[in-house]
Amino acid sequence: MNIIPNFRGFFWLILIAFLFTWFGLVVFPWLELGHLPPIQEEGSTDITPWDSSGAAHAGEHIYAANGCAYCHTQQVRPETSGADIIRGWGTAKDEDGKDVTRRTYPRDYIWQGQVFLGNSREGADLSNVAQRFPDAAKLYSYLYDPYVLNDHSAMPEYRFLFVTQKISGQPSQDALVLPAADAPPAGYEIVPTAQAKSLVAYLLSLKKGYHLKPDEAGIPYVPPSPNNS
Amino acid sequence: MATLFPTTVAPRGFVSTDPELAAVDASVRWPVMVCFLSAVHWMVVGTFLLVYASSLTHPQDAFPILGWFVDLSDNFSMFTYGRVWPAAIDALVYGWASTAGLGLAVWLLARTSRAPACSPATLMTAVVFWNLGVAIGLTGIFLGDSTGVELLEFPAYASWILWLAYALFALWSVATYLGRRPGYDHIAQAWVLVALFAFPWLYGAGSILLSTSHPLPGSGVIQEVINAWYVHGIYTLWLAPLGLGLLYYLIPKISGISIRFGTKAKIAFWTWIIFAPWTAVHDFVGGPFPAETVTIGLILSGLIFIPVALIGMNLVSTAFTAEEKQGHHGGVVFPFFVLASVLFVVAGISEQILSIRSANELLRFTMFRECNQLLWIYGFFSFTVFGAIYYIVPRLLDFGWRSAALIKIHYYLSLYGILLVISILGFGGVMQGNILENTDVQVTIVTANDVSISYHIAATMCISLIAIGNGVFALHLGWMLIDWLRLRVRGNRLAAEILIEPYEGDAPAKASEEVAA
Repeated sequence: MNIIPNFRGFFWLILIAFLFTWFGLVVFPWLELGHLPPIQEEGSTDITPWDSSGAAHAGEHIYAANGCAYCHTQQVRPETSGADIIRGWGTAKDEDGKDVTRRTYPRDYIWQGQVFLGNSREGADLSNVAQRFPDAAKLYSYLYDPYVLNDHSAMPEYRFLFVTQKISGQPSQDALVLPAADAPPAGYEIVPTAQAKSLVAYLLSLKKGYHLKPDEAGIPYVPPSPNNS
Repeated sequence: MATLFPTTVAPRGFVSTDPELAAVDASVRWPVMVCFLSAVHWMVVGTFLLVYASSLTHPQDAFPILGWFVDLSDNFSMFTYGRVWPAAIDALVYGWASTAGLGLAVWLLARTSRAPACSPATLMTAVVFWNLGVAIGLTGIFLGDSTGVELLEFPAYASWILWLAYALFALWSVATYLGRRPGYDHIAQAWVLVALFAFPWLYGAGSILLSTSHPLPGSGVIQEVINAWYVHGIYTLWLAPLGLGLLYYLIPKISGISIRFGTKAKIAFWTWIIFAPWTAVHDFVGGPFPAETVTIGLILSGLIFIPVALIGMNLVSTAFTAEEKQGHHGGVVFPFFVLASVLFVVAGISEQILSIRSANELLRFTMFRECNQLLWIYGFFSFTVFGAIYYIVPRLLDFGWRSAALIKIHYYLSLYGILLVISILGFGGVMQGNILENTDVQVTIVTANDVSISYHIAATMCISLIAIGNGVFALHLGWMLIDWLRLRVRGNRLAAEILIEPYEGDAPAKASEEVAA
């Protein structure tokens, strides 16, 4: 069983074996997908995908630090591979307010500082979460107490992203509207912290309602089907 | 260090009778012991965190006592699931498995090369810094500095400590190997060297390319590609080779039977190195990735049935033959290695299942992936390390384990714990997948949650079983060390003890005599 007749030769063989995987799994996809530009129509200032705001980018860190990606994915597989489209996770509104339903493509992620495709669906896919939670207030109360909106939710409560403070003068605009069980004592209100605000800004930026071009980087582009729109 | 406690103690007969092996063991005694002790410490920490994280995945009705866990997790950012879960897995992978793996690597290289380790003090320093890196990294995760990148959650300020400590350790281990006497070759060396080469590449490339403070410009989904390459590389090119190296060395050594189908071991080695890392594409199927990479990757990762079958033929059949020929041979350590080899094949089969496209589509986002992860960490690798610690520590300290019964209790708790956990999470994954991939539009994520919750509750119970087993193991090790110290310092008379494997010709057949000071 002498597998290493010569250390140097063994080292080179190992190196070649590693390089084979490295090129196939990292370098080749990088060459193909690493520098996808956004699409700009001629004579138009519109850029697809839409870029998100600075607050949304700050929210990526909150999303990472609190491990949202361990239960939530951000990828919609095509109809041929899984039931993501049927679950409604691929649907978002386009510029004209019409529903677009499609899978996600590599180009969808080019503006994201950190990409969270995720590997577990204990929770729903968040590729187009802004479609289901169009306003911040609903997201705040969901983060504070998921049971208010969904009494089967498996999501933890993120109360540490909020503070209870005494109302002085006018009540705060962001103050949470909660059912009696969760409501703060009279004269107090529950408001989101800066972390909660940037996390929610990030979640609200997650919508992929724009149209992409045919043949996205080796993945044939299937135009949104009219049935779903 | 051996003369730290200057009491003359009569040799107790646990040290190898081969003077060369005894010298090797003496040279690595403290680095390996420090590796094992800190590894067991992280095992306890990681297992506790895992039970905690698992108890947060379902309502607490089943465990009313744990209700306050949830209150903690709701109100304090430190204890939220998204921090506890990665901290648990990182404590287990970097603290427990990798630290023990470093100990295994240096012991195996020195032993198989019959070359005493050069500069044990350097190795010790490296282990201390490695542990420091793990501790800082875990603290960083709890304080909210987690990068959110799977298995690379440690913030940058911990990563570089780990990398440097590792580099120091690996260079000295390889130097030991290069100083070997010609003619001492063993396939275990190949496995260990592969692991030692793979880790710095994986960890260096992973933590630099995926650094969240300086993200790659315009990289997009490539981040997730690199992350998948990293995660699966850690299991298949770092932990698996270390464990396999040990099994290839100790199974024949303990049983006295040479590896069956030994000529296939070489093919198994090379096919594993080439095909196994392609299991990374299991995380790509259906995702926003080039279709051809996924297709080719699924074919290549499917080919791991070749090395898995060959390694199974080598290890499992040697182990079973040994049990058959020698009956149950009275050993309490050998069953750990038998089970480790079997669980390697099971882990290989679970990777094989994920290489089938339709199965992957069903199981991708379910708890099956957790099952696969725990199979590698708690199944195959932990059992290898348990056996290794039971076998190696008496030879390093010249001191026996205190109780065969405790070893058996640990064995059965871990055995039933891991078998139940993987069956529950594996089957639960199929049930969860059936709902997630249901084509009925009425079905929602809520339907899937209602089904998966019962499996999560069962999993928490079974992980608690493993945790109890691990606790027994840690306490037993502590008991042994205290008695060893009492012997060294005070020269106490000690009660009967056992050495569990009377094989390899360098161990006493019976070592239960009392020793006077």
